[in-house]
Amino acid sequence: MIMEHIQFIAPEISLLCFALLIVLLDLFITQKRVLPVLSVIGAIVAATFIIVIWNTPPVGLFDKMISIDPFGLFFKLLILAATVLVILASHNYVLKFNKFQGEYYALLMLSAVGLMLLVSAINLITIYVALELSSISLYALVSFLKDKKSSEAGLKYLILGGVASAILLYGMAFIFGLTGNTCLTCIAEYVRGMPFKDLQEVPALMIGLVLIIAGFGFKIASVPFQMWVPDVYEGAPTTITAYLSVASKAAGFGVIARVLMTVFGLPVWLHNDWAMIIAVLAAITMTVGNLVAIVQTNIKRLFGYSSIAQAGYMMVGLAAMGLTMGTKENVTGGLIFFLLSYTLTNLGAFIAIIAISNKINSDEIEDYNGMIKRSPLLALGLTICLISLAGLPPTAGLIAKIYIFSGAVNMGLAWLVVIAVINSVISAYYYFKIAKAMWLGTPVTEEKVDASWPEWLALAACVVGVLALGVVPGLFMNLTTAAVRIFGI
Amino acid sequence: MLAQYGYVGILLICAIGFTVIIPLIPKILMVMGLIPTKKNPTKEGQYECGMQTIGKTWVQYNFRYYFFAVLFVLFDMLTIFLYPWAVNVTGLGVGGLIAVGIFLAILIIGYLYAWRKGALQWK
Repeated sequence: MIMEHIQFIAPEISLLCFALLIVLLDLFITQKRVLPVLSVIGAIVAATFIIVIWNTPPVGLFDKMISIDPFGLFFKLLILAATVLVILASHNYVLKFNKFQGEYYALLMLSAVGLMLLVSAINLITIYVALELSSISLYALVSFLKDKKSSEAGLKYLILGGVASAILLYGMAFIFGLTGNTCLTCIAEYVRGMPFKDLQEVPALMIGLVLIIAGFGFKIASVPFQMWVPDVYEGAPTTITAYLSVASKAAGFGVIARVLMTVFGLPVWLHNDWAMIIAVLAAITMTVGNLVAIVQTNIKRLFGYSSIAQAGYMMVGLAAMGLTMGTKENVTGGLIFFLLSYTLTNLGAFIAIIAISNKINSDEIEDYNGMIKRSPLLALGLTICLISLAGLPPTAGLIAKIYIFSGAVNMGLAWLVVIAVINSVISAYYYFKIAKAMWLGTPVTEEKVDASWPEWLALAACVVGVLALGVVPGLFMNLTTAAVRIFGI
Repeated sequence: MLAQYGYVGILLICAIGFTVIIPLIPKILMVMGLIPTKKNPTKEGQYECGMQTIGKTWVQYNFRYYFFAVLFVLFDMLTIFLYPWAVNVTGLGVGGLIAVGIFLAILIIGYLYAWRKGALQWK
């Protein structure tokens, strides 16, 4: 019974095997340049397996532990793409911890395995185990530089992550206590059959729901669980910051969307309640993120707060998704499209930052002055990504925001969209502060800044992706709509 | 529904009451004069038997103990899973053998890693 379904988790198994192979090879070879090649091959093999099983009808495996559906597979591809881009971008950066390259790549891939399992998990137990698998690898990666800041970041991430896990488990325990089931669809069946009309009549469900949102809120860095973001982003190796800000966040949104939509999607009073929690948190999240980002002088901290603000926009999409349940409207793929666009944009920006700061050994924005003269292409790539983050044409950011905001307006969240648009304007200020420094500032030295070919490749892939999503979004919208169709009724 | 939560509330009140009252009992007994208050050095000592500690308790341990502790956990896990399997080898058949083989392989990779990185050397 287990063997006949083994092909559906082949992507995870193959990636795991490659990670173990890297650990082993690292012990016996001296030529470390083989390791990134091997890890990229591993990710490509896993992606091939995903494409092979792409068209199978949605199916729950291993007694409803893992589900194979377009939603999960889309996220898996997204996570793999982010992993490959981060590995390419690490080409020069890993020289900072030359002795531990094997561990670096292996942990990165193990964390990717965890995230891939997380987005396809349909059981509270698998969700928790997958979450821990990815988190524990990331705790180690965050403290990889072993200097003061990096260790502090790692410890902070570990402690706060542990607290968040405990809160999540507490919430899951309430839900399990109420329904007697851990599988999401079984819980959903119970919840839909409840004879209540209001969340206040079922306190256990209310506490469970709030605690689960809080636990996942840590992963997606929504206010008020965002405290770890700036410190961890600043202290972590820049490549890991990039990975945290996209892959970990995307998987977090994947799992929170799946849990909220399948378990708490119906009856109507229930999703109205949580969608309103998410909507209010979204408004606070983006406002806090954007306002604090304005005063930042360190580019990694700035991107930390920017990623909090972006999480706010994504939560608008999540709230809109929740409100569409039980109505005639189709669930929109706004959130998924935004995640796709955000992943490419943010990674592109980070790859440029990694290449630049590796040369100039600084993360301060004022050291980016006149970067256009020192490295025209890197500055141009970073500028395109900044334009996309601010949400201006002709980039992915604009389409993603239109898509997500129109979905929210349709669902009666116009007040939230007004706040979001005001926030977009605020965010343009600090994004263009970096662009202004690069284009108009006077360079400190005339020394050229160059990147290695894997970094160029990764940056080019991101920039092309950002522009492609902005110019011909139709191609990708079908994909995102197909991904969320599993939540329809 | 709420009545069921009431039991949790009663338990909470009992727990708080217990933890507050128990430490107060010696004080109450002392006030009532039931406890002799004569002092002597033996009674004032930390323990009724045993030695006085030498130095501070915050000694720095050699961090290599940590490696051994982690490796011990590794082999502990091995025992936990091998024992039930060994009891029913024939019943579990080839599938069980393969599963244990994979499990062993993963643990051995961990062991190899520790060994090659020199975690087993005390220097």
